Amino acid sequence: MSGPGIPWYLAVSAILFSTGVAGVLLRRSPLIVLLSLEIMLNSANLAFVGFSRLHGQMDGQIFALAVMAVAAAEVCVGLGLIVAMARRRLPLDVDVFSELKG
Amino acid sequence: MGNFLTWVVWLVAAAACLGTGLRVVTASNPFASALSLIGNLASLAVLYLLASGEFVAAAQVLVYAGAVMVMFLFVIAYLGGRADAPWAGGTRLIQVSSVIAAVALLAVTLVAVGLEAGDQLSSEADVTRSFGSPAAIGQLFLTDQLLAFEITSIVLLVAAIGGVVLGMRSEAEGDRVPGKDAQ
Amino acid sequence: MIFGAWLCLLAPAAGFLSILLAGTKLTRRQAGLLSTASVFVAFAGAVIAFVDMLGRDTADRSEVTTAWTWLEAGDFKVSLDLLVDPLSIVMMLVVSGIGGLIILYSNGYMKGNDEERRYFAYMAFFVFSMLLLVESANLLLLLVGWGLVGLASYLLIAFDHHRPAAVTAGKKAFLMNAIGDATMALGLFLAIAKTGSVDFGPVFQAASSGALSDTVVTLIALGLLGGALAKSAQIPLHTWLPDAMEGPTPVSALIHAATMVTAGVYLICRAHPIFEAAPTVQHLAALLGLATLLLAGVVALVQWDIKRVIAYSTMSQIGYMFVGAGIGAYGFAMFHLVTHAFFKGLLFLAAGLVIHRLSGEQDMREMGGLRRSMPLTHWTFLVGTLALVAIIPFAGFWSKDAIISSSLAQGGALGWVLYVGCLIGSLLTGLYSFRMYFYVFHGEPSAKVEAAAHGEEAHHGEGDLSMTVPVVVLAIGATFIGLLQIPGVWEPFQKFLEDVVPPLVSPSTGQEWLSSMISLAFATFGSYLAWKAFRAGRELVSAGAIRTLLEHKFWFDELYDAVFCRPAQMLAALLREQVEQPLVQGGLDEVADGTIEAASIAGRAESGLLRTYALAFAVAVSILALVFLVVR
Repeated sequence: MSGPGIPWYLAVSAILFSTGVAGVLLRRSPLIVLLSLEIMLNSANLAFVGFSRLHGQMDGQIFALAVMAVAAAEVCVGLGLIVAMARRRLPLDVDVFSELKG
Repeated sequence: MGNFLTWVVWLVAAAACLGTGLRVVTASNPFASALSLIGNLASLAVLYLLASGEFVAAAQVLVYAGAVMVMFLFVIAYLGGRADAPWAGGTRLIQVSSVIAAVALLAVTLVAVGLEAGDQLSSEADVTRSFGSPAAIGQLFLTDQLLAFEITSIVLLVAAIGGVVLGMRSEAEGDRVPGKDAQ
Repeated sequence: MIFGAWLCLLAPAAGFLSILLAGTKLTRRQAGLLSTASVFVAFAGAVIAFVDMLGRDTADRSEVTTAWTWLEAGDFKVSLDLLVDPLSIVMMLVVSGIGGLIILYSNGYMKGNDEERRYFAYMAFFVFSMLLLVESANLLLLLVGWGLVGLASYLLIAFDHHRPAAVTAGKKAFLMNAIGDATMALGLFLAIAKTGSVDFGPVFQAASSGALSDTVVTLIALGLLGGALAKSAQIPLHTWLPDAMEGPTPVSALIHAATMVTAGVYLICRAHPIFEAAPTVQHLAALLGLATLLLAGVVALVQWDIKRVIAYSTMSQIGYMFVGAGIGAYGFAMFHLVTHAFFKGLLFLAAGLVIHRLSGEQDMREMGGLRRSMPLTHWTFLVGTLALVAIIPFAGFWSKDAIISSSLAQGGALGWVLYVGCLIGSLLTGLYSFRMYFYVFHGEPSAKVEAAAHGEEAHHGEGDLSMTVPVVVLAIGATFIGLLQIPGVWEPFQKFLEDVVPPLVSPSTGQEWLSSMISLAFATFGSYLAWKAFRAGRELVSAGAIRTLLEHKFWFDELYDAVFCRPAQMLAALLREQVEQPLVQGGLDEVADGTIEAASIAGRAESGLLRTYALAFAVAVSILALVFLVVR
């Protein structure tokens, strides 16, 4: 294969992943948190595709497609939640929902 | 020459990916975040192409960038000004530890993969032209990975129902007092 | 004989259990009748055994029957054994007979009481325990019976548990008896250690054959004596008996006059080989009996509560029995036990009739002139008094004077001290008994008596048949039972017991009649003095230091309070403040506070913020990955 080898793909994936983690932990708007989650999922997808190319097996790509489908489903539900929150005029702030406290 | 081009394309795509990723996480305007994510998805698609994942790249652009991100943009448009999310990171402790956690994860991943895999990562397999083609994907989906295929469809169905349920208007539509222990 | 013994023991137990288990399904009357019947069945059993025994040769009159082996540890064996021999038969007859009469009396006396069933159950339980005590064939079972009668005594003294005085009196009795139980147990331990057995045979054999060293046998005897002193209310463990009068009158009659308090005398007679092997202790018993005899006699002179007078009189008479047992006149001591059961029980029951008539009044100053309104009670009470004072031909004369003459026969310093003391005791007995009699039945009727005479109670006569019949029966007994021992003429009682408890001293007929006449003179003189004082309307002991001393009962209660109770309370308070509060309570408080603090610290992790939880995930994942790396 020409171009960078698989380790480069994995490195990008790793950096993207930790960026996504930082985003999930540091932002207060649920919307941004969802977007960061997308980042994380995509980084996983990248790793899948890279490994699939490494081993010459297509299963990695299959799984990447599955992850994409799941991500879509999750976004659907997450956005539905956000819209429901907005409709009830709740503040869009993850720190406000602390009913798990104690 | 071909190799050099591949390298250039790869580096540009990778840089774009990482840059947009960072922007998604740090932008205060959610619209900017969403647009950055679209850019991220696009650069990822390029990377997939370079790794012989043609179908995946196409699906990424069509499904992810095309459908999911559009949904996101719809919601941001609906929310209007309420979607604004200034940088508010929580307590100092959480901020610092979050950063540390992320960095730690990164380090561990790199180190782990590097140490463990090492040699195994260097030699890629030889692949035919049909690697990554829709035919090959279809072939696998309907034979070896049939279960994944079916379960995925069920997950999508459930998510669709969930979305409808969440969107339904209920009696408690009025103002609700937010949690009293807002930090 | 064995059948009779088992019937005697188990009938009251069955009665007790039936009342206990039937609960409110039995009416109160039925409970009373059941209890009475069970004890009379026991008496029948004792009579069966007695008749059987009379038909046998003297050598054949002892029988031991084993129910089952309770404890076996190597060579040491303890079984549920019953012993039927002349000594135990005498006690069985007295306990079940007098017990039955008193329970019959209770049917009338306790009528209308809310908790009659409990009372009758306890009475049956008491009779069972006492019979267990006297029928046991080993020291351990005797101790079991000993403890059970103590329990029954406590339960019955504190029967009216709404009255704090009764509850306190019950506790006092129980505690003092517990001291006696403890010394007895210690004696038992020593006996087991040295002889390897608790059965009467081996232990007595070891004691009399000299196999045990002097110290050991003295200690065992002291242990048994401690128990006997507590149970029989002799100095120094005597202060509980006057307080025990807080219980209902039939209880005082049965437990604290006729039977339980005589258990100490029975013990000494039964364990006489041990005491004979430790003469110091035996003579100590006699001297303590003498001291109690005199002390109780003088204190009775200043008592105004009719039951207290009779209680002190009981203490005094048991002192006589201890004197008898202490010098080895076992047969006479037992004989006095029997006659005392009759006339003391009679006195209590008759006093009960008076108290019942006057609706609970027990102060003699509120009585007087009752001989006109209660003739039956008057005559029976007089019979009892005459028996107590030992006027011929009533029962006390024959039994008490037998003991007095034995002390004369003993001779030596001990004998003369006892003899003179007993004679003074006779004088005192005459004094306090007739003082009581005159105050209650002679003189002008008090206002209360007048009211009662015309009141409701009087319409029923002097009491139910269930109350008057036992009193009359006991009166007849008190008159005639003494005639079982006429010195020089016939002495069946002494002979009956001779084989089992051979006496150490046997006064000659001449000695007996001589000392009897002298003591009769003393007693009559005492009665005369009492009559004169009553006629003159003055007290026998004039006010002053002596009277104060007597009224405070020689300050025994105060002494015990100061020496035992106060220090114990102070120690308890001290421990509570210094040890329990800071250490125990404080420790617990610290643990509780610490837990709360730890929880609140840990609770900070439950901030409720989603992000914190997500952070926790991230951190955990990175740590885990690190761990996997290292561990591989």
